[in-house]
Amino acid sequence: MPLLGSFCLKFALALTVYCFAVGIVAVARKDRIGNVLGETARRAGMASFAAVFLAAGALVYAAMTDDFSVAYVMHHSNRALPGPYKFAVLWSGQEGSILFWALLLSGYGFVLRLRHKIDQRLVATASVILAGVQVFFLILANFVANPFGMMDRVVADGAGLNILLQYPEMVIHPPMLYLGYVGVSVPFAFALAALINRYPGEKWIHITRRWTMVAWLFLTFGISLGAHWAYGVLGWGGYWGWDPVENASFFPWITGTAFLHSVMMQEKRGMMKVWNVWLIFITFMLSILGTLLTRAGLVSSVHAFAQSSIGPWFTTLLGIIFAVCLFFYIKNRDHLRSENRLESLVSRESSFLFNNLLLLAAMFAILSGTLFPILSEAVRGYKITVGAPFFNKITIPIGLLLLFLTGVGPLLAWRSTSVGSIRRNFTWPALFAALVGIVLVAFNLPAWLGVGQFDAWLKLLPAWFAAIELAKFYSWLAFVLGAMVIATIASEFLRGGRVLQGKLNTNIAFAMYHLMRRNMRRYGGYVVHLGVVVLIIGVAGLAFNQDHEQEMARGDKLAVGHYVLVGQEYTQDDNANYASDAALLDVYKDGKYLVTLNPELRSYKANGGQTDHKVAIRSTLLEDLYVIYEGKNPDNGHPIIKAFVNPLVSWVWIGVLTITFGTGLALVPNAERVTAQVPRAVPIAAMDDQGMQPAGAGK
Amino acid sequence: MRRLAKLLLLPCLVVLLMGADNQEARYQNLGGKIMCSCGCAQMLLKCNHVGCPNSDRMIRELRANVQSTGNDEEVLNWFRRKWGVTAVVEPSTHGFELVAWILPVAALGVGLLLVILLVRNWKLRTASVAAADVNLDPELEALRARAHRETEI
Repeated sequence: MPLLGSFCLKFALALTVYCFAVGIVAVARKDRIGNVLGETARRAGMASFAAVFLAAGALVYAAMTDDFSVAYVMHHSNRALPGPYKFAVLWSGQEGSILFWALLLSGYGFVLRLRHKIDQRLVATASVILAGVQVFFLILANFVANPFGMMDRVVADGAGLNILLQYPEMVIHPPMLYLGYVGVSVPFAFALAALINRYPGEKWIHITRRWTMVAWLFLTFGISLGAHWAYGVLGWGGYWGWDPVENASFFPWITGTAFLHSVMMQEKRGMMKVWNVWLIFITFMLSILGTLLTRAGLVSSVHAFAQSSIGPWFTTLLGIIFAVCLFFYIKNRDHLRSENRLESLVSRESSFLFNNLLLLAAMFAILSGTLFPILSEAVRGYKITVGAPFFNKITIPIGLLLLFLTGVGPLLAWRSTSVGSIRRNFTWPALFAALVGIVLVAFNLPAWLGVGQFDAWLKLLPAWFAAIELAKFYSWLAFVLGAMVIATIASEFLRGGRVLQGKLNTNIAFAMYHLMRRNMRRYGGYVVHLGVVVLIIGVAGLAFNQDHEQEMARGDKLAVGHYVLVGQEYTQDDNANYASDAALLDVYKDGKYLVTLNPELRSYKANGGQTDHKVAIRSTLLEDLYVIYEGKNPDNGHPIIKAFVNPLVSWVWIGVLTITFGTGLALVPNAERVTAQVPRAVPIAAMDDQGMQPAGAGK
Repeated sequence: MRRLAKLLLLPCLVVLLMGADNQEARYQNLGGKIMCSCGCAQMLLKCNHVGCPNSDRMIRELRANVQSTGNDEEVLNWFRRKWGVTAVVEPSTHGFELVAWILPVAALGVGLLLVILLVRNWKLRTASVAAADVNLDPELEALRARAHRETEI
């Protein structure tokens, strides 16, 4: 099997090189021979998918059958590893994940080449660009990080999978994220192809709209699965720690979001052509940078399991991509002139402009913070740590401004919005937001302001400006702005629904359904915005987190928030994969028994006794009780338990699901408009011939 | 006049209160920038790690430094020297580290400036194109006026 895999990888490289080289010739020649060559290149590109698929299959087979003669399998698996994790070995290490990149890229390329009839010239050029990227990954997989390298000695068992990766999300988090990273390459290839060919109109945008949304959806889902994994596995009580690799996955997501918005300006008004082309170029380059940061270990990260020395290869690829993009931009930039100009600052166009500005500022802030340790090491000789407080201070205000724009933008008209329209559209959302703000303060002033009583608040006013108190203010503001966005979305649905209700003579719910079916992209987008609001409300709960840690002998109590945990039993277990210590804790809320939780600390045998927390979480819509078995006090052997009360975390996951649902809706084609049959006009003479009479005759 | 006096009173009160609680605010602020060095990955003032070998000591050191030193930057540098550069998780607002804070703000500022220039440029071009259109073709203008008159659009 390893031999077959190795052969398939080399064959895939040969096919892809053919697709790339002959594809260039075919695109350059515009005659019949060019067409024939182009067809062979297309078929070679499609065949390369089969070859890479077989290679990946061979690696999975080796992992599933415990073939430890393959060095990669030996280093990332062991006999006792459960089946799904053996399958996940494919993307668990450096070599496998590069093969996986190549597999996904060839898969996307296969679909693209299959649908070549949508626009043969554009698809042919995009296919060559994808093949160019594919050649890079196959060179890496064949010569730099070959997953089919053989062991020089026989071993009885493997070294085991990294214990942090032995978690259900880990089976799907990397594929989702990679589908997003790699998916961005398709709109990139089309954008570059359109620029190279000086392609008229917005066809490339129409072709790639769904590709971009699918890639964005995978990125969103992949990032949130990573956050869920961090929440359940890393055991620090949170889901987002501004780790460099987390940030790296966020970069293309942010610029992709900006692209999905700004591209509407090009579709509707023929504006921002240069900006859109560069935005998708940058998004693709950031997805490569994300892979570079994950794989090369440039910055210290929880993803240290993937560090290696392939950084220079990716840096070179980034340089080449940038140079190619810049060359064709300079050569053909006159082709990207805007057809229209901005007519008013109070318009949908300007809201997209500011949305893009804020998103790009957020991306730059996170990028500069992530790379600052490298910069400081180069300039000062040591790495300056840039942690969560920095990112929170910079990104939260930008995020709140974006939330404000999310509420305002959809209410502005294209070209220009009149004062009357603003007054008419904004009154209810603004009143609803104000009402929510007042209710929150009136009913729970101390919590929102962070102190017990108003006079105490006044005395502690300076401290209120310190980060933790400011966090509570931001949290309140997030709720207020979120309310405004929800009211905006509701008013958009209602306004459109009412118009259709009159036209179709039906009820409002059915009218809104029809409204949505007629413009899935727009109303799916509103559902995505709703998901973002729900997610932000979940994040706003962070300001009210509580935690407590203590030693707990049998019968001891730990109080955190409204909860009291009582130690009932402490057990030990031992199986082929790991040994574990666990606690059975009865949970009481306001004196009433709720549930028994079972946090666990595992020690994995194949990984040299490395330990890992299995967090016990009791999740409700209001809050999560999150309990960790920290270890034992070496002096007296008593278990140490840490408990967190994390408000509103469930809403983060609900928000992600809503975003996913909304994106799915936006991908569905619009319903066809039903048109009534209009009788064809027939001359009266002809009617006479047929013995017919005009309408109303004889009355 | 009384209204103005009331309005002025609140900021004065705030400033006075700020002075009174300055040390506590500095302590809280600095404690949110220093990480406990026991490996628990928590901020110093948030570390509630059972048996933490460092946090109590670091907190005492922070209190002492806040009392003895008026400059926050010196306090952070003291911690960097004693506990290593990774003890402080937020770049300082002086010297080279200030760049970390300036970069995002500068990017936003430059972006905003570019957007303003772009909008201004678009508006100017729109105006010049409109002005040029007026003198383009009298016959076309007459036809346009007739279409406008007849269609009332």
